[in-house]
Amino acid sequence: MAAQDGLWYKDAVVYQVHVRAFYDSSGDGNGDFRGLAQKLDYLQELGINTIWLMPFFPSPLRDDGYDIADYRTVNPTYGTLDDFKAFLEAAHQRSIRVIIEMVLNHTSDQHPWFQESRSSRDNPRRDWYVWSDTDTKYKGTRLIFVDTELSNWAWDPVSKQYYWHRFFSHQPDLNYDNPQVREEMWDIMKFWLQMGVDAFRLDAVPYLVEREGTNCENLPETHEIIKDLRVRMDREFPGRMLLAEANQWPTDLRAYFGNGDEFNMAFHFPLMPRMFMGLKLEDRKPITEILKQTPEIPENCQWCLFLRNHDELTLEMVTDMERDYMYDEYAKDKAMRLNLGIRRRLAPLLDNDRRRIELMNGLLMSLPGTPIIYYGDEIGMGDNVNLGDRHGVRTPMQWEGGWNGGFSPADPEALYSPLMLNPVYGFQAINVQSQKRFEHSLLSWMKLLIRVRKTTPVLGRGSIQFLYPANHRVLAYTRRLGNETVLVVNNLSSKAQAVELELKEFRGSILIEMFGRNIFPRIGDLPYLLTLGPYQFFWFRLRRI
Amino acid sequence: MPEESILSDDFVRELMNVGDVDIVVGVPTFNDARSVGQVVQAVRAGLLKHFPRERSVIINADGGSRDGTQDMVRAAAISDLSVASDVHALRTLHSISTQYEGGPANGIAMHTILAATDLLQARACAIVSPESTTLEPDWMERLLRPVLREGNDLVLPIYRRPKFDGLLIRNLVFPMAKTLYGCTVREPYPADFAFSGELGSQFLSQDIWNQEQGRRGTELWMTLWAAIGKRKLVQSFLGTKTRREDAPSDLVAAMRETAGTLFISLDTYSALWHLTPELLEVPCLGCEPSISDGPSRLNRKRLYDMFTFGVKELDPVFLSILTSPTHDELKRLAGLPEEKFTYSGELWARTVYEFAIAFHKAIIGRDHIVQALVPLFRGRAHTFLTQNRDSSPEQMESKIDLLCKEFEQEKPHLTELWDGGK
Repeated sequence: MAAQDGLWYKDAVVYQVHVRAFYDSSGDGNGDFRGLAQKLDYLQELGINTIWLMPFFPSPLRDDGYDIADYRTVNPTYGTLDDFKAFLEAAHQRSIRVIIEMVLNHTSDQHPWFQESRSSRDNPRRDWYVWSDTDTKYKGTRLIFVDTELSNWAWDPVSKQYYWHRFFSHQPDLNYDNPQVREEMWDIMKFWLQMGVDAFRLDAVPYLVEREGTNCENLPETHEIIKDLRVRMDREFPGRMLLAEANQWPTDLRAYFGNGDEFNMAFHFPLMPRMFMGLKLEDRKPITEILKQTPEIPENCQWCLFLRNHDELTLEMVTDMERDYMYDEYAKDKAMRLNLGIRRRLAPLLDNDRRRIELMNGLLMSLPGTPIIYYGDEIGMGDNVNLGDRHGVRTPMQWEGGWNGGFSPADPEALYSPLMLNPVYGFQAINVQSQKRFEHSLLSWMKLLIRVRKTTPVLGRGSIQFLYPANHRVLAYTRRLGNETVLVVNNLSSKAQAVELELKEFRGSILIEMFGRNIFPRIGDLPYLLTLGPYQFFWFRLRRI
Repeated sequence: MPEESILSDDFVRELMNVGDVDIVVGVPTFNDARSVGQVVQAVRAGLLKHFPRERSVIINADGGSRDGTQDMVRAAAISDLSVASDVHALRTLHSISTQYEGGPANGIAMHTILAATDLLQARACAIVSPESTTLEPDWMERLLRPVLREGNDLVLPIYRRPKFDGLLIRNLVFPMAKTLYGCTVREPYPADFAFSGELGSQFLSQDIWNQEQGRRGTELWMTLWAAIGKRKLVQSFLGTKTRREDAPSDLVAAMRETAGTLFISLDTYSALWHLTPELLEVPCLGCEPSISDGPSRLNRKRLYDMFTFGVKELDPVFLSILTSPTHDELKRLAGLPEEKFTYSGELWARTVYEFAIAFHKAIIGRDHIVQALVPLFRGRAHTFLTQNRDSSPEQMESKIDLLCKEFEQEKPHLTELWDGGK
């Protein structure tokens, strides 16, 4: 796609999808690129303008594709490289950009590089991974997968040394101190950029480099590597974008924007659990506090916001007290907990309460950042905690109430994952086809929400000022860009609320409610009184007429 | 302010912003700037430690302080507006303050807090005294948990007090409340206590708020009302309670609040106390010995002098209040030298009962009757101090039990006088 606007990602509404889970065109029980291409019209109709694809590379799939065995082609289960190219072209024809995953930090232990590396200590690729005679190096490094791993070192019986891994032991970390590794990874990125992909989500970036005496996260050397990739990408492929996956505190995350010369976007991980917390507490404090702690970022950078994704709802970036609260409120059943998080989808997390689902999506679309919708959440799909790991939130997309939910013509037993079958979230109750029929379905409402968001650049690019009304159950803020101002008022409470907003600064402006385009009273000298129903929110455009 | 409302419009607006809550902590104040900050900080710490998930608000009902009391309370709030707060809290903790009309009067403060508790639909309300400088964060748990988690209606404190603190409670309120109503709680006139939102609403709906009990002694009235109504009462050991060194000591006011309230209750519950009450068992949570050793700050000589002076000065008043034998005995006592002076429990019980009858019959102005009891109480206090000078805490407890028995033994005297004798 032409890169007319280098800041396109600020206006993006991203749809995160797993090829395997979306639509099976071949009938083998797995989604594929041809199937995804067939569903592009649906995504276009939904209103999203960017697709983020989860890993689709050849992989033993022991970490749902984040264990890559070959970076330069497509997992045959999902089709061919040509299928991918066709999909990419079809997406671009619909003005939909495509973000793909790039797992820089590690490979699968089945990757030929690792197989060579472990084959002998003299192998030329030995130094492509991090090897050690002991498992005591880098002692200050935390364990991420606390439920499954006991150490960041794993013993390799073949070459009789330990190798370093920050995630699963079958995912050895690449050695970024080796210039060959860095060159090779750039070469791979170039391969996809040349094909036309618009952006990369770089997975697990804080962990690229290890240094003794540190926690091996966010090291200066890691930033240098990112900067180098960014320089090369901007030079050769202007208008493309790098998105950081770095589950860190905002102050640590800030460094990944550099001076606007590292990542273009980064996920705001700590905000997400606090949105859920604020909703359950019926108190805006968790949200405003974390955003107050969020440092300014360079003009050309953007936060990426999400409610749910393919992983657990991570609770790494909260205090112990907050984590306990989140577990008690959102994961009473221990089966819902995984690592330091909660493996559930949006709708079940919110008790399938349409008002709360709408409010949370309203926040997602109006807080500063680029929103990401996880596939299926636009229709309120459920999860299956019995599937182990995070597979419960990666079940097949539910297209219709018929055979396999319209996902695949294969025998149900052949599906990569069982479909949701229960009476509340099963495909017969929750599916695209039925929701398309009704103007007031969640799907229809999501389309409206996205459409309204896209009527103004303010929500994507504007600044934010919180209003702090005395009623703490109400979260209110203005978003401003140039002369345009949008006022957002959210009732986080399950009860109706009255709120007085101090809007003197906008005295004389008329409020125009953005969903119905109705006119509200002009702002005067007195505090502006609004009443909001349970979980209700308003977006107002302020007009001086 | 609407004529019929105890709550000002501004206060209602603040309550509207607070919204429904789980916990209200009420702090009635009047010129308490020297201690209220410390108390409110401890309350805040207690709420954050023990009830981080509950919605809580600290409500200060102030009687017109001019020393910055209200500002100190408001400073305890935790919100997303707080700058660089070192306190980590899950949610907003409101701390609001209002000045009520017609003060200072603890009863009006209580009425204000009860009305706010009712409006906010709180599940529990704790009242803490701004003078409770020994209040620790854990007191919040000890007061509120029995309501929130264990379904009790009223939680009354047990303190570890210096040996000779609370003489009025020990010599008058406790024995009389036990004898007449079977109320065995050790602090029937609590400074720090808690109750359920439901009980709070019932307090609020009683027709006392324009009467004397609704102005002073209200906390004692609440205890009696709950005990008589057989509500679920529990005592909770809080810890050490000491008086602020500079706290004003106004025995006349204290007598109005305690004896006055008890005497009024005799009218209200006449049919009840005529019967032999069933003793209300009130369990004590975490109880420890409640009397600590320590020197008395009271001047016994002065108590004795004030007694003898009072008996002389108020003789015409006593003549109208007391029966002849009691009056004569008091006169005899006033003529004894200090070393031979003993105001027995039996005589004290008769004295109190006869004052109660005079109050009931309003022989003279009721307030004068209550005030006239003050010098006699000083005489009784002198004897109590003398008798317990070398007592261990256990021995002192025994003597308080003995006094209760003397109040019981003398109860027929009260009944007889009430029912027409003099």
